[in-house]
Amino acid sequence: MSHAFSPVSEGDAVTLPAFDLLQPESLRKALEFLDENRNARPLAGGTCLLVDLRKRTTEAEILLDLTRVRDLRGIRIEEDELVIGAATTIAEVLADSLVEEHAGVLHDACRTFAAPLVRNRATLGGNLVHASPAADTAPPLLVLDASIELQAIGRRRVVPITNFFTGPCESTRREDEILTSVRIPIFNGVRHAYTKLGQRKADAISVVSVACLAIPGEGPRIALGAVAPRPTRAWDAEEILKGVELTPETAKLAAKVASEEARPIDDLRGSAAYRRREVEVLVRRCLRQLIDDQGGDVDGS
Amino acid sequence: MEARVVSLRVNGRDHEVLCEPNATLLDVLRDLGYTDVKSGCEQGDCGACAVFLDNRAVNSCLVLAWQADGCEIVTNRGLGTMDVPHVIQAAFADSGGVQCGFCTSGMVISTKALLDRVPDPTEEQIREALSGNLCRCTGYGQIVGAVRLAAARLQGRASAVISSLREEGQEQDPEDPVLALDDEEEGGEEA
Amino acid sequence: MDNVQPKPLPPHELPELNQIGKPLRRVDALGKAVGATDYAADFSLPNMLHAKVFRSPVPSARILKLDVSKARALPGVACVMTGEDVKDAKLNTDLPGQTGREARTGSDAPVLASETVRYVGEPIALIAAETLAIAEQALDLIDLELEELPAVFDPQEAMKPGAPILFEPDNIVARYKVRKGDLEAGMAEADQIIENTFKMPFVEHAYLEPDGGVAWVDEQGVINIRVCTQVIEHFRSIARALDVPQNRIRVRGTMVGGGFGSKEDITVEIFLAFLARETGRPVKLVYTREEAFAATSKRHPFSITHRTGVKKDGRITAAQISLVANSGAYPYLTPYVLLYATATATGPYKIDNVHVDSVAAATNQTFTSAFRGFGAAQAAVAYEQQMDEIAKTLGLDPLSVRQANYLATGDATATGQVVKSAAWLEETATRALHALDERTASTPTRRIGRGFASYFQSYGRIMWFHDTSRAWVSVEQDGTAVIRCGVPDIGAGQSNSLCQIAAEVLGIPLHRVTVYATDSAVTPLAGTSTATRQLYMSGNAVCSAANTIAARLKRRAAEQIGVSEDAIVLENTRAHDVANPDSFVELAELAKLCAAEGIELSHLSQFNAPFVEGLDENGQGEIWPDFTFGAHAVEVAVDTETGQIELLKSAACHDVGRAINRAAVHGQIAGGSHQGLGYALMEDFSFRDGFIQTPSFAEYMIPTTEDLPVTRVIILESGTGIGPFGAKGIGEPSLTPAAPAVANAVADALGVRIPDLPLTPERVLAAIDRAREEGLLT
Repeated sequence: MSHAFSPVSEGDAVTLPAFDLLQPESLRKALEFLDENRNARPLAGGTCLLVDLRKRTTEAEILLDLTRVRDLRGIRIEEDELVIGAATTIAEVLADSLVEEHAGVLHDACRTFAAPLVRNRATLGGNLVHASPAADTAPPLLVLDASIELQAIGRRRVVPITNFFTGPCESTRREDEILTSVRIPIFNGVRHAYTKLGQRKADAISVVSVACLAIPGEGPRIALGAVAPRPTRAWDAEEILKGVELTPETAKLAAKVASEEARPIDDLRGSAAYRRREVEVLVRRCLRQLIDDQGGDVDGS
Repeated sequence: MEARVVSLRVNGRDHEVLCEPNATLLDVLRDLGYTDVKSGCEQGDCGACAVFLDNRAVNSCLVLAWQADGCEIVTNRGLGTMDVPHVIQAAFADSGGVQCGFCTSGMVISTKALLDRVPDPTEEQIREALSGNLCRCTGYGQIVGAVRLAAARLQGRASAVISSLREEGQEQDPEDPVLALDDEEEGGEEA
Repeated sequence: MDNVQPKPLPPHELPELNQIGKPLRRVDALGKAVGATDYAADFSLPNMLHAKVFRSPVPSARILKLDVSKARALPGVACVMTGEDVKDAKLNTDLPGQTGREARTGSDAPVLASETVRYVGEPIALIAAETLAIAEQALDLIDLELEELPAVFDPQEAMKPGAPILFEPDNIVARYKVRKGDLEAGMAEADQIIENTFKMPFVEHAYLEPDGGVAWVDEQGVINIRVCTQVIEHFRSIARALDVPQNRIRVRGTMVGGGFGSKEDITVEIFLAFLARETGRPVKLVYTREEAFAATSKRHPFSITHRTGVKKDGRITAAQISLVANSGAYPYLTPYVLLYATATATGPYKIDNVHVDSVAAATNQTFTSAFRGFGAAQAAVAYEQQMDEIAKTLGLDPLSVRQANYLATGDATATGQVVKSAAWLEETATRALHALDERTASTPTRRIGRGFASYFQSYGRIMWFHDTSRAWVSVEQDGTAVIRCGVPDIGAGQSNSLCQIAAEVLGIPLHRVTVYATDSAVTPLAGTSTATRQLYMSGNAVCSAANTIAARLKRRAAEQIGVSEDAIVLENTRAHDVANPDSFVELAELAKLCAAEGIELSHLSQFNAPFVEGLDENGQGEIWPDFTFGAHAVEVAVDTETGQIELLKSAACHDVGRAINRAAVHGQIAGGSHQGLGYALMEDFSFRDGFIQTPSFAEYMIPTTEDLPVTRVIILESGTGIGPFGAKGIGEPSLTPAAPAVANAVADALGVRIPDLPLTPERVLAAIDRAREEGLLT
């Protein structure tokens, strides 16, 4: 990555480029706008999109402001799912007791998300639609097996999050769709662990992040962030642990497999070799935490 | 797209501002004269532009003015003045937490956001609350001290606000239990 | 380094004073706290234009074509200026300040590049337009055709034959040598010879306030420039660039939102002056954060090699040191930074046989110039690590190796300058280490280490600059006081200290002193806010002026009361008989009496630093007026699996001579420490092939509130400084020992040393892997 100077098209600007801004007050209106303007970019917190627009690393002729659509906010339980509106801010997710109780691993990730001022604007939906390989909320949602609700005019579909990310900053969202909510199955007796490695302790993009979930009767689930083209479950590592007891030894083995299945790249924040090495360390530590939290070994059978 | 008039209530005062869709709240506030809201990075990294937007502390550089239409905004200046400073502002001034002062307005906003929710925060909570506000002058120690002093004063656990430069006896109250210099050791006693 | 006991302080006198030393609320603090203080960008005038700078996108090229016609034609663009328009204007990057000495030839940079460009971000053209958005659009309409040229990025490469030449004839911007004693004899005498090389990167100042300002032409035709700067005396260089007389440029300095040396250079001033003159309208230019990063100065990268001869007991018999610095694309203050590094390269130690050789070479990267510590900080990174390596090789305690070599008052430095003030090196080191308390316990994956660093840092400028400062003080008829002084306040409390000094001398409370500062046309020139000189120089000037007025007041009061003049003290807004406080005159009444009788109650004082003429060909002679001494100690925990370093404890102890405002001194020590700790742990302003890899705060890491513990601050006051009331300086000294303390602590934790800053997790892991391979670590 390099920074070149002037002209503005290379990124030397304070002002944002010119765009149209549509501000629907209802979901219906938002979907209509999007249907009529397929190139409109949804805007919620703007903590990524406005930065990219200012730096001219992305373009938008039309922005669709979703911050006035009440239906997109709020956290509630619907039957056996915890439902989080896509335009709910990270701060709201972090403060919510339902999230803390039923999706503790997501709560933990939100604690490390950027910094408080950004958390008051950034949204869960925005983090997912931006689809950075380092998205902080992705590994937790992956181990929670969350689903992503996408709506368009006359259409609603729910996609498992494991199918949602398709590449670096690419998702399965179609251009006429809005990500409207995230749906998390509610488990009982679940233990979790989350850890993130950054270049400093706060306000840092993930160099490696790991989320783990231990569900009674299942093998642990493990998800990795910032070490592959998209946030991903460590399927091979999970496979190793299926049907066996989670012990320090099996945790170590699984961690090694996880580091082998990671596909990190070199970038400004860290080398691929370092990231691969740290996948092993962090997965091992998270799995150890699962063991310790239970006060012993975890039965995966 | 045409410019539009947005209504902003800033520090209790109503404004009607004609602005483009791509105008940020930061730019509009500064153009209106609220220059206490500082531009430090234009991308949400430094916190110098922090304001309250409908009671939530945000980086104003990442809010479009149109998104703030109809909203209530409070900037640092809206909290207090030279004559009647807010307890938090006075605490910053009294504790050495202000050096160059450029980060201060943002720090005050984040501090108020914290103390409104958590009146008696631990050091860890203070540091977390201010983790999005960069400072290059103080090393943060006296800023943490300022927040503790403000919290103590708001709870009546420390002496009254020194409200004005014109007041005699400008020294810090030696009885004040939360003087921000408690990290310092007396090193010059031995002879 | 555990359970270290503080060395008792020698007897010293520190008279009790009324206001000096107290942590009074600074005069500028409340205005800043309530958001009332207006900085450089917080100012507008009617009819004002907005400016942008068009900059080079590549590190090395010849300009083949620069066509600004389309930009000029854009509606709303008031003017576009290129190198053609400012053809003979040179930016004097040399010697800011008031001394009138000739600039070194070759030290100038073009105001706007017209033939070649030498770094990414180099200014090529200026645009002024009705709005910022239009100015930005105009940037896109400038046609630039470049022929890329070979570039060089490493100073060693730059000095090889065949390297592209940025600085005639050979890219060498400066070189120095120091020769003292007999190196060969010293080495022969040694029991061991230890050699190490230490490297440091480019570092960004990262002040929160981007550079900028507003300029306009006033009704007298004087070009006014309202700008955040550490130096208002730049009006002379600005005048020269614009080819106008010096008294036709007025620099109005604002409260600066952090400078740390970067605002010591001319930044936006000449651009603003040209545009204001050309358009006849006020013009505003404020850098983006990316411009502040790319196009203002950086800290010099250094590679420093120590070869030291030592006796078994730790005494150093010979020191041979070589330093190579990266000057970036233009010289700026490189020769002086290099001099500071060269002259302090041995550290605060008494060594009889010394060879130092230093060189700085130009490369195609952002120019390097002043940054808090100014070469002496980089020297300390190397010498303090070398001291610990010596200890390790000899199997001695790191503190005892220092103790065997510390300078004492009366000893001479490597350049032969005798230390005249207190040199409380052992006193400060032991206190800093003592403040670390009980050592935290290590675990196999979390290894604890402790380290410290001693240092010495000058305060006051190089004495052959013939530094001076002026201040005017007056007492008003109601007993309040006014100071007029050119001092730029860059956040450390420069202007407040002057008020506190005047308040002490005149016996009035701090809040009854008002200071008017930083206007080159109206306030007496006080020199640069750099080199840790303002308290020393302007503090002494204010002290002198206030004392002159105080003498007159006392004389008149003595008459009034009927005692002798030396029986009068000024205190609590009164002049009273020291033996009988009830026998007094209110200061206000006294002032009116004096006014009526033509007794002048204002005074302009000039303070001159000692003048010397320079070093001899062996680098021998005096350089600075005095030194500050101190130490920093840290305890770290190194995660041996992630390579992350956690700073558990940090303690700093400095002899500041006399603290004027205790809270401000505390703040300087805490803040300087923070920058030094960041330097060690995470700050790396990196380039790849001349392109900046860390263009903003998103990529360039500085510590947040969660990254560092509180630094325990221990202030010692020997009273032996040559500043007011025996003060020394603390602005730069506070930073200097912090980074080497961390490096030493990490080496202590791991048993191996990482010789390059910053100590990133990857470097830590590489060191651990190496150590394991060599069987040094399990």
